[in-house]
Order: sequence, then C-alpha cells, then structure tokens
Amino acid sequence: MNKSWLTAIWLSVLLCISMGHNTRAESLETAEAVEPIRFGLTAVVVRENLRFLDQWAHYLSKKMSQPVEFVRRRSYREVMDLLVSGSLDFAWICGFPYVQNRDPEFIKLISIPVYRGNPLYHSFIIVHKDSPYQTLDDLQDKVFAYSDPDSNSGYLYPQYLLAEKGTNKEAFFRQTFFTFNHAETVEAVAERFADGGAVDSYIWEYLQEFSPELATKTRVIKQSPAFGFPPLVARLGVDFETVWQMKNIITGMDKDPDGRKFLEGLKLDGFGDPRPDLFDNIREMVASVRAAQPGGGPVTYGTEVNTGITE
Amino acid sequence: MTRPYFPPKGLSVKFALTITAVVAGVAFTIGAVIVTLDWQRYQTELESKALLLAHSVAVTAPDDILQNDSWSLYKSLKNMANDASDGMQDTKILTGMIQDPDGNVLAHLNPGNNPLGMPLIHSGEVETRFFTASKEVRVPTILNTDISVKGFLEAVAPIYSDGKLLGVVRVRLSYKELYQKAQRSSFVIIGMTLALVALGSFLGTMISRRITKPLTAMTEGIEAVSSGELSDIKPIPVNFDDELGVLANAFNKMAKEMVEKKSLEEQIAVSEKLVALGRISAGVAHEVNNPLAGLMNCIDTLKKHPDDPELVERYLPLLDKGLNRIKNIVESLLIELRTEEAHGTDNSSSLEDLRDIVVSEINDRDIILNWDNTLGEQVLINRRRVQQIVLNLLKNSIQALPDKGVVSFSTRQNSDTIILVVTDDGPGIPAQYKSQLFDPFFTTKINGTGLGLWIVYRLAESMQGVIEVESEVGMGTQFKVTLPLIELST
Repeated sequence: MNKSWLTAIWLSVLLCISMGHNTRAESLETAEAVEPIRFGLTAVVVRENLRFLDQWAHYLSKKMSQPVEFVRRRSYREVMDLLVSGSLDFAWICGFPYVQNRDPEFIKLISIPVYRGNPLYHSFIIVHKDSPYQTLDDLQDKVFAYSDPDSNSGYLYPQYLLAEKGTNKEAFFRQTFFTFNHAETVEAVAERFADGGAVDSYIWEYLQEFSPELATKTRVIKQSPAFGFPPLVARLGVDFETVWQMKNIITGMDKDPDGRKFLEGLKLDGFGDPRPDLFDNIREMVASVRAAQPGGGPVTYGTEVNTGITE
Repeated sequence: MTRPYFPPKGLSVKFALTITAVVAGVAFTIGAVIVTLDWQRYQTELESKALLLAHSVAVTAPDDILQNDSWSLYKSLKNMANDASDGMQDTKILTGMIQDPDGNVLAHLNPGNNPLGMPLIHSGEVETRFFTASKEVRVPTILNTDISVKGFLEAVAPIYSDGKLLGVVRVRLSYKELYQKAQRSSFVIIGMTLALVALGSFLGTMISRRITKPLTAMTEGIEAVSSGELSDIKPIPVNFDDELGVLANAFNKMAKEMVEKKSLEEQIAVSEKLVALGRISAGVAHEVNNPLAGLMNCIDTLKKHPDDPELVERYLPLLDKGLNRIKNIVESLLIELRTEEAHGTDNSSSLEDLRDIVVSEINDRDIILNWDNTLGEQVLINRRRVQQIVLNLLKNSIQALPDKGVVSFSTRQNSDTIILVVTDDGPGIPAQYKSQLFDPFFTTKINGTGLGLWIVYRLAESMQGVIEVESEVGMGTQFKVTLPLIELST
C-alpha cells in the first residue's frame, strides 16, 4: 500500500477524529462540564487502524458516559512522560516500562490483554526469509533494527540475549537503529535495510494476516520465552470511580457484542485481570542487562540510558 | 495526338516536385526544430525533477544524520522515490542514496545490495569519480550530463549542518523514459511532417495539373494549327477566372477565328479557281474567237467565189495564219501536257542550246545578253521543262526591255537545289500587277498571249520549285527559280 496516500488518509482521519471529539467534548462540557478521559497509545500497538481506534474511543465514551480520546505518541518514553505529568489518565504501555522502578510510583496496572488464550506474548528475532542467517550469532557485524528503546520485545529481549552472551552489546552489531514501530521493524527487515530485527510476536502475527506482502518476507530465527502481554495502566491520580469503571468496561468487552467486534479487530480474546507476577521474567532480564552494563546502575525513569540514539 | 500526361521533364512534374520539395524542406526543418526543442525541454524538466528530489531529501537529512536515525533517512529516501513515481509518470528513479563524506552508505534505495554503514559494493572508477565530484558541490547539482554514455542523469545535493558536510544525497534518474517520451513525440512530429509532405505533393500535383492541363491542350491546339489540322483543335475548357482562364479564352477565340479564316480562305480559293477558270475560258474563247471571225469571213468569201483562184491564193495564207494562231494557243494551254510526256533528262549543258534561240529572239535589237551558266555537266535536269522556263523568262525580259537594255542569265548550285536567275534592267513591274503576274492571259503587251509566265509557274510548280520575283519600277526585275536537285536528277 502506498505510504504517502496513507499519510494523507491518516491526517484527514486524525482531523476528523479531533474535530469530532471537540464537538462532542463541547456538548458534553456544556451539559456536564467533564474533561475527556485521555488514553495514551504508542505506535507499537497497531499503526494503520485509525478508523478502528476512533470507533473504539467512541465505544468507550458511550460506556463511560464521558468522552474518551486516544492520544498517540511515537515512543513509550513520551507516553510515560505524559502520564507522569498528568496529561494522560490511562495508557497501553509495554512490560518493560511497567517493570521499571519509579519513585514515586505513578501508574497502576488495571488489565492485561488475553492473546490466543493467555495474557502472554513473545519477542521474535526476525531476518529476511532469503537471508542465510539462522542464529543471532550470524547477525554479528550486521545491521539490526530495534523497535522502541522502551520496548520489551523490540529492545530489552535482544539486549538481554547479548548480555547473556557476554559480548559487548554495543559492538556486536555493525549498526543499529530504532524504528519506534514493530511494523516498521518488519518493513526494515523485509526490505533488507536491516539484516535482523526484534519484534513483538503479536504484531508480527497480526501483520502476517493484514500486511502479508511485507511480513511474509521475514522469518523468525529466535523466539523468546513467554512474557506478560503489554498491559493497560492507569495514572494513580485518576479517581477510583473512573478507573474502576474503565476496568470493568475493558474487561467486559468480550461479553458485549460491540466490544467483541473491537476485540476481533485487535485479534485479542479479551482483557483480563492484572497478574503482576507475569512480568517477573522481564524484571529478571532488566536485572541481567543492568548487571552486564559497564556502569551497572539501576535503570529508572529519569536516567539517560536509552536515548534512541546508538553511537 | 497522344502524349504522356506527365512528360518526365514536363512543367507539371517540375511544379509538383518543386512544391513537394519546398513543403518537405520546411516541414522537416520545423519538425527537426520541434524535436530538438522538445528534447531539450524534456531534459531540462528531468534535471529539475532530479534536483528537486535530491534537495527534498537533503533538507530533512541533517537532523536524522546527527541523531544517527538511519531508519528516518531511509524513509525520507523512500518517500522521495514514491512521490517521484506517483507524481511523475515519465520518471524512473534508477537509484537513490545518502552517503557520508567517507562514502559509507547512510541509506540506499536498494538496501539489500548496499548494506548500511559500508562503502558501495559496486564501486568502480566512474563511481569514485562521481562521489568525489558530489562532495565538491555546495548546491544541488546535475553531475552526469553525458547522457549518451551512461543513460542516466545524476543529481547530487550536499547535506550541510553549520558548514560541516554531513553527507550527500545522490539521485539517479533513468533517461530511458525520456528517450521514449521524446521518441513518441518525434514519431508524432515525423508523422505530421510526412502528412504535410504528402499533402504538399498532392497540392503540388493538383496545382501543376491545373496549370499544365490548359497548357497541354493549347500545345496540342498549336501543333494542330501548325500542321494545318484545324479540325483537331478542341476548345480548352475554361474553368478559372485567373490568367490561365484568360489565356484559354484567348486561345479558344484565336482557334475559332483561325478555323473560320481557313474555311473563308477555302471558299476564296474555290471562287478564285472558278474565277481563274472563267478567265481562262474567256481568254481561250476570246483568243480563239478573234481569228475564227476572220477565218469564217475567208471561208464565206471562198464559198461565194469557189472558182476564183486569186481569192484562194489570197485567203489561204490568212486561213493558215489564223489556224496557226489557234494551234499556238492550244499548244500553249497544253504545254504542261506536253512537258509531262517529255520526261527526258539531260545534263545541264543542254541549257546552252537556248543561247542561240535567245540571241535570235533579240534579233537586231540593241540589247545586251549576259550569259553565265556555271552548272557542270554532271548536273542532270529535265531538259524540256527547264529549257521552257528559262526561255519564257528570257523572252519575257527581252520583250519588256527598251533599247540598250541588259538581260542576264545565271545559274547556281547549292547542296540540294539549283537556282536559275534571270535579271533585267527594264521598266519593272508595277505593284498593282504583281498579284496577277502568273495569271493566264494576263498581259500588258499588245501582242502578248498572257501565257508565258503562267507556263513558267505551272512548270516550276510541277517540279516543286519556287519562283521569287523582285521588281522595282524603273530599276528592273529579277526572277529567281529554285528547283530541287533530286527532282532534276530523276
């Protein structure tokens, strides 16, 4: 599909969404004087389905009796920054940001998506299907594409693998870059701009179905153990009533025909109750990676560890 | 009279060829100019496109390079290529790349074969030269203009940040589409040129036909006139208002008048013949009647006095004389008949026989005869006819001459004719008689029969000869008879 055309559609849809929301926000404001609930997303989730997100936001607004709008940002870091500053009320983030140490804590787990029966997913190390690479070692001195520097599957897991090998992870690949988007990591590998890449298994499988012309050009050479699926979180400052209501609506979507429609679009079974221990293996990976780092300091928000720039 | 419609060297062919040549020349010149201009325009357009594309990437590149954001660099390169293929139908990007100042690939449209962070794999002498040249430029520039060698055009745009060269954007556009586009428009122009030439030659043919058709008809008409076949002249159709129409009209009018004139002449000739016949008949009747009256008187007297020997003796000579005169007249009238019978040929020395007869004709008059017969013995002549012509002319002159007159006879021979000239310095022929000179029974002499020159005329005519007369009153007269040699020899 043509990219510039998509961009145009994207922009016009975005415009429609925002205008629609404004109108709705105004009417609600005059009636009830309520601020919209702002729900943060990154492009890591699903990039192309803007109309879908609009309808989903409408669905949530109706259920909440309060306008809900999705706020998209390029990176997890930006989403986290918006959460900490109070500009977002809810967000769909990744396991890696979730397990980071925050002082003080400003988010609370509310739900974890259920994918193919389990709240789990994997990280895939992918290469071009025609390439000779069979293991991560084959990618030494090659070009590697990461998704987001705060992505578990798209960055932490390959970092962990390199740390495990005991190699200098900065020097292992000839060159690395961030696409900030799992779909674009697939694209970079499919077009051989990168020799290998790390992606979310859920997104990769989603693309196999909805964007096969690119996705089928890639092949998985390594699958990670199961990780907890990227969770939905609420900002601690949001009132209990709203969080409780949102959690109920989201976890009840699989019992509602309209909700099931959105779950089908997302290829998810539903949203389940939080199980914080799901992210324990991610915590372990963080610890391993931290241990392998020359400085060895704790990885927390506010420290300049992953700037998105590799030197 | 049939002739090819387009004689190979005819005006119609020349006209048509000239017009065709002119149209072809003009059309091909204009066509060549348009093709050249088109090509230049296409080339300029392509160069502008290439520069624009390279520039568009170079503008956004510095931040991406500084942040080592290879993926954004690659995407801007790809977007540029997509925009180019969407917006410019006739443009094909052969390749596009961003290189750092060391020549390593920062992004390449064909990433599979040009790995990131490595020098170009297919790097030859030309590639090195291009890269070196691309680092020298400060603004977007077209590097390769020698299209015939490479078949592509390369635009480079340097990426500068704060005066530091971060890299170069290089975009190669194929010339193939340009060639095809130029070729397509060339075909159209060549087609139009050929159509123009065809139209030109068609018009040329039409115009030349239109001009030469009446000319051909007029030529045929004039040839008919010159060969006397006036009945062959068909009127030329007058279809035009221009000079040709006027010419055709004039010709038709002339032809019509000539036909009328000829029929008038024929009528005149017939009536002249009748007049001549009447004059001959009247002359014969008159000439014969004169002696007949005397003869009848003599015979009457002799009948009344049959026994008078004196009368017989007196009248018999008169009868004899009168009958002889009639006989002479008849003989003269039959002279042609006689000479027809006498086909004998002789050498020209037989003319010398005449000299004595002429001298006796002069008798004792005071007239000088100059005789200059130069015809050799090998020249054969029809003796009786030529003798008769010369004798009659000489007798005519001598009778006209006063005393102390001079009469000359001379001969000449050309390649195929002999010329007999009789000249005198007599009183000359008055102008009013000249038209009747050779008429029978026309005479100005009291005792003349008026048959001498008529006989000369008839004889010369029977030998396809020509008689020319020059005469001036008081100065003299010259008769020149030209006879074909071949006729004389037979």
